[in-house]
Amino acid sequence: MFQLMLMQASKYDFHALIDTNDHEIYTKLTCCYNEKDGDIKGAVCSQLVGERAKIILDEVRHLALFTKDQCLLHIGEHFQPVMEGMETESYSSVADAVLRNHIFVHLNDNNDKFNLLIFMVQKLFSLVDQTSAPDNSDSLQNQEILLPGHLITIYLKEKLEDWLRKGKKLVEDKINNNSQNFDFCSLKDVKKVMDKNSSKQIGTAIENLLKTGRLITQTGLDLQQMKSNDICDLMENEVVSKHGWKQKEALVLLVFSKKTWVYSKRGHGFVDLFKIIEAKRKRKERFPLVLPQDACACAEIEMSVYESDINRAGFTVQAERLNYLRFISFFRSVHRGASFAGLRTTSVRKLLPESWGFLCPVHTPDGEPCGLLNHMTCTCLGVGMTTSWPKVDHAGPPRALPVLLDGCVIGSLSSGEADKVVAHLRRLKVSAASVIPDDLEVGYVPLSLAGTYPGLYLFTSPSRFIRPVRNISIPSSDGKDIEHIGPFEQVFMEIKCPDGGNGGRSATFPATHEELMPTAMLSVVANLTPWSDHNQSPRNMYQCQMAKQTMAFSLQALHSRADQKLYHLQTPQTPIVRTKTYTKYGLDDYPSGTNAIVAVLAYTGYDMEDAMILNKSAVEHGMCRGQIYQTETIDLCEGKSNQGQRIFKREHSDKAISSFVDSDGLPYVGQVIHGNEPYCSTINQVTNSKRVYNHKGSEMAIVDYVAVDTKNKQHLQKVNIRFRHPRNPIIGDKFSSRHGQKGVCSQLWPDIDMPFSGVTGMRPDLIINPHAFPSRMTIAMLLESVAAKGGSLHGKFVDATPFSDAVKGVNGKTETESESLVDELGSMLRARGFNYHGVEVLYSGVYGTELTCEIFIGPVYYQRLRHMVSDKYQVRATGQVDQITRQPIKGRKRGGGIRFGEMERDSMLAHGAAYLLHDRLHTCSDYHIADVCSLCGSILTTAIIQPQKRVVREIGGLPPARAPKKVMCHACQTSKGMETVAMPYVFRYLAAELAAMNIKMTIQLSGEAGA
Amino acid sequence: MEGASYQRFPRVKIRELKDDYAKFELHDTDASMANALRRVMIAEVPTIAIDLVEIEVNSSVLNDEFIAHRLGLIPLTSQRAMSMRFSRDCDACDGDGQCEFCSVEFHLRAKCISDQTLDVTSKDLYSSDHTVVPVDFTDSAGYESSEQRGIIIVKLRRGQELRLRAIARKGIGKDHAKWSPAATVTFMYEPEIHINEDMMDTLTLEEKQSFVDSSPTRVFDIDPNTQQVVVVDPEAYTYDDEVLKKAEAMGKPGLVEIYAKEDSFIFTIESTGAVKASQLVLNAIEILKQKLDAVRLSEDTVEADDQFGELGAHMRGG
Repeated sequence: MFQLMLMQASKYDFHALIDTNDHEIYTKLTCCYNEKDGDIKGAVCSQLVGERAKIILDEVRHLALFTKDQCLLHIGEHFQPVMEGMETESYSSVADAVLRNHIFVHLNDNNDKFNLLIFMVQKLFSLVDQTSAPDNSDSLQNQEILLPGHLITIYLKEKLEDWLRKGKKLVEDKINNNSQNFDFCSLKDVKKVMDKNSSKQIGTAIENLLKTGRLITQTGLDLQQMKSNDICDLMENEVVSKHGWKQKEALVLLVFSKKTWVYSKRGHGFVDLFKIIEAKRKRKERFPLVLPQDACACAEIEMSVYESDINRAGFTVQAERLNYLRFISFFRSVHRGASFAGLRTTSVRKLLPESWGFLCPVHTPDGEPCGLLNHMTCTCLGVGMTTSWPKVDHAGPPRALPVLLDGCVIGSLSSGEADKVVAHLRRLKVSAASVIPDDLEVGYVPLSLAGTYPGLYLFTSPSRFIRPVRNISIPSSDGKDIEHIGPFEQVFMEIKCPDGGNGGRSATFPATHEELMPTAMLSVVANLTPWSDHNQSPRNMYQCQMAKQTMAFSLQALHSRADQKLYHLQTPQTPIVRTKTYTKYGLDDYPSGTNAIVAVLAYTGYDMEDAMILNKSAVEHGMCRGQIYQTETIDLCEGKSNQGQRIFKREHSDKAISSFVDSDGLPYVGQVIHGNEPYCSTINQVTNSKRVYNHKGSEMAIVDYVAVDTKNKQHLQKVNIRFRHPRNPIIGDKFSSRHGQKGVCSQLWPDIDMPFSGVTGMRPDLIINPHAFPSRMTIAMLLESVAAKGGSLHGKFVDATPFSDAVKGVNGKTETESESLVDELGSMLRARGFNYHGVEVLYSGVYGTELTCEIFIGPVYYQRLRHMVSDKYQVRATGQVDQITRQPIKGRKRGGGIRFGEMERDSMLAHGAAYLLHDRLHTCSDYHIADVCSLCGSILTTAIIQPQKRVVREIGGLPPARAPKKVMCHACQTSKGMETVAMPYVFRYLAAELAAMNIKMTIQLSGEAGA
Repeated sequence: MEGASYQRFPRVKIRELKDDYAKFELHDTDASMANALRRVMIAEVPTIAIDLVEIEVNSSVLNDEFIAHRLGLIPLTSQRAMSMRFSRDCDACDGDGQCEFCSVEFHLRAKCISDQTLDVTSKDLYSSDHTVVPVDFTDSAGYESSEQRGIIIVKLRRGQELRLRAIARKGIGKDHAKWSPAATVTFMYEPEIHINEDMMDTLTLEEKQSFVDSSPTRVFDIDPNTQQVVVVDPEAYTYDDEVLKKAEAMGKPGLVEIYAKEDSFIFTIESTGAVKASQLVLNAIEILKQKLDAVRLSEDTVEADDQFGELGAHMRGG
């Protein structure tokens, strides 16, 4: 396998790239190994290198390719069939194009390409010798993000190329077709041809990408996930994994392996080789030198995957404005790829330590997308555009550590000096004056035994993650010591936490950097949970999800928006207990909850199992009230057939709808519309037919706003009608605190029956059950209650930033205050004459007697979640039935029922409720009386014989008596054996279906027994 | 039922009386009476509040229901409420709430024509009945009346307009909280605190001090002259048992004994302003009487049996 690969490598590249000879290749390849070093720790090469290099060079000797020209000819000869549009070119120019466009495209200079190839082969040798570890493609260290702008750019580029190619072909066809007189010089003629190839399709393609998120491409766009199951969201950023190679190199490898697939079928792409090597290594097999069969098989498989997967969905997501937190989260999210969701393996979902500080460990949904959909931490950034490359001079002969800048070998460095160089580079990076960009990634991988392949890897390329840390090795003030680091270099850096401890770091590796703040490892949303360090960790994850489902102030310009659906909270409040992040991001502009007085007690039994009791008076005073705004767009231009014919109008004579629709055909603003009432009317001017738009659903709505599109000056053609659905809290609505404690309102309890405090007369707004706490361990919610109580008594907001004690230790401020958080909060209460622990003596609202124990009560910030019964309840008495089975249909929208399934049936049986079961499953479903021929046993051959003549006997306006139905069997040609049997209608359908398959079903009727 | 009478004669001692605040003691009755009084004050004393709103023009930023809800919550002076009829059983009208016996009409017209934000407040509501008007919170001692412009309903910017007609009706807090005349009604049992002086004398001054400090409210203090622990304010005691726990922790159980007097209560009432706090109590007693009358009047009727079920016979003395 090596031979094969290196055969290509040396044959096509070593020689082709530069004028070189076998000896030079040999020395370059073996330079990393020095006899004198022997087996010292950290050596990445063994003496086998020389042997291998020799074998490689010997292998290709028989091809007799010794000079650059020979190689080029060879390459050109083999690649010409797959190089589009180069059929007539000479071999050497084809070879040039191959090298230029498909091999290490990020490097322009052939010398650079040569050096990189040498480096890669050395790394490969090292991997085989197990002196370095394979790079983990699931680790953030080896990943970068696919930014939407980059994706759109390459997609646009491909579409443009497609269009040009098509245009070229059209023109060529015309020219070659001599029968028509086509003049290439005539602009008119060319234009005529090009009109067939509309340039609109490019725009449409991009539009479709944005609209549907489907990436339709022939080439795969060189996106790695197109081949190996990654998908990204456009609005979101995407992590592209690199197989074993960091960034540019990897990308280039992929380009190489993909574009030369035809060739690779005979040979192999680099990537595949790596996969095999890794697999072998995992199986602890000794790696044989030749493995052509495996490699070929691998290539074939890859090929098929590649071809079937060129059409990929999920590249865009709608940035919903459900609330502000959800909205901003979309722009901070990173998706690993939708196809990973279907994968059995969970390794991609793992939270690896490499993602520390870049991806939030808390803010990922649980369930299907867990670990795939991540969110960047609040300080993490993405490098968007390439910064300018600093000028680099090539260094002298190799000594120890290779130095690569953006995948280009720029020299080498003695390992003893590396530390100094790195420190100097970092200093330059931070200082404003230097030409070194401040987002340069200085990935210094030191020599190690079977670790990552050593070297100094510098990156300035775009699409990397970066985050700020403080460089404490630089004596600097006024924020000049903030350095942006990337995920690659982070692994090899010594970054301490600002809690004063050494974090288990040994003295030989002193910390050079320091985290800015402990909360920098959390995303914005995760940062908003007060004292999240006191909660059980899954609860914080739940809160991150629920914060994004909260009904809140989603935007400010509500009155001039036409969003499909908007949730809006009428009277939100600012939380008393808040984190620093809340203030930093100005979330008071988008508040999302209410400070409800929460009592923790089991009062009526209506708070069992996460149910919660709301105070009816509190709700009537406006707590958690809200609306849903929903916009209907009516565009008369849609449907091209009768464009301009229809106008918004109501006929004056139309009295039926005049109380709902004005004479201009539009509803009155402020009008209350109930289910199936009209709200808009249009008239077709040509046919004079009218159309009335009815409000769907049974629910009441109010016309909030009517926006008219005045672009068309003559006639109004398009309107947006915004409806408002009031959503005041009722039984069944969902609420949650900020600690993953969600619950459903089970009762609106009268104020007078609520327990009250003898001292203040306070009645709780909300009662939750104490059982919500022991197993969930959301201590922060208890802290919040105490803190909010203290805060409101003192008239100040309480800071609840998590991990604040870790920072306090440095400032030395805490010693003067109380030592623990609880004590701090408790003394706040005590100072105002309240119980230190936040409990109060309450009296029963019903009896006026003291409750036997003290009740924990205080304000907790509660969010109203968007799941509301009004949108979900389902009820049906009678209604539509299915055409085929005559059973009730399903679906809430269509007035369907809820399935009474097998398990429900089982429970009925267990209860012995046979009659009820019969009622549910038969009488109320597809009850049917079938005529059965007892002679032949068929239910399908029966037919009703119409009486020859209707006997008209109308006496005094009475309806004619039903003539007795006469039924006969077609098969038996008699009506003698006809019987009526009650059965489910599906049974008849089953008989019909079976009959269609030539299976006859007969029914044997027996006496009156049973019935 | 003849024999012993359980009738008691509750006494009321007024401690403090302001327009919207009252504090009084209620003696010689039990918790059921006290709590009934509390419940009636919160939920059953009628007031007048805006119930129907007809919006003509609303170009403000708040939607119609929001404004209607806000209007409903504005307390209106409801001295008339006791004598008014509920519009549901008003004979003079069809119950549409437009007659003098059961409803009051309000008008509001506001338009902002300047560049400055216009606050539409309860002062802009014009009532058809001068006895039923939005509650005026201007305190003679407090702010100047020009500063205090009532309860803000909505703020208007230039060009925005609000025009509406509202009908206020009589109602009770049970139906909707806007009709509740009481902001807070609470009562506590009067505590009886006995200090075991002998045991207290065994404590050092520091111990005494820590005992006094153990209560978050100032119930006890140390007399500076005699250095004895004295009860300064028994009513500050919140039944939180803090001092009892402290005594226990000090190894002196029974240092103090605290009982709640079962028959004496201290009421605190805060009114929304719709009804004066004193009137609120009187009205509540009146309502309570009416409710008892209703029970008594139905004593020997058949309905009583329906109404009270098994209790019916009991009420008739059987």
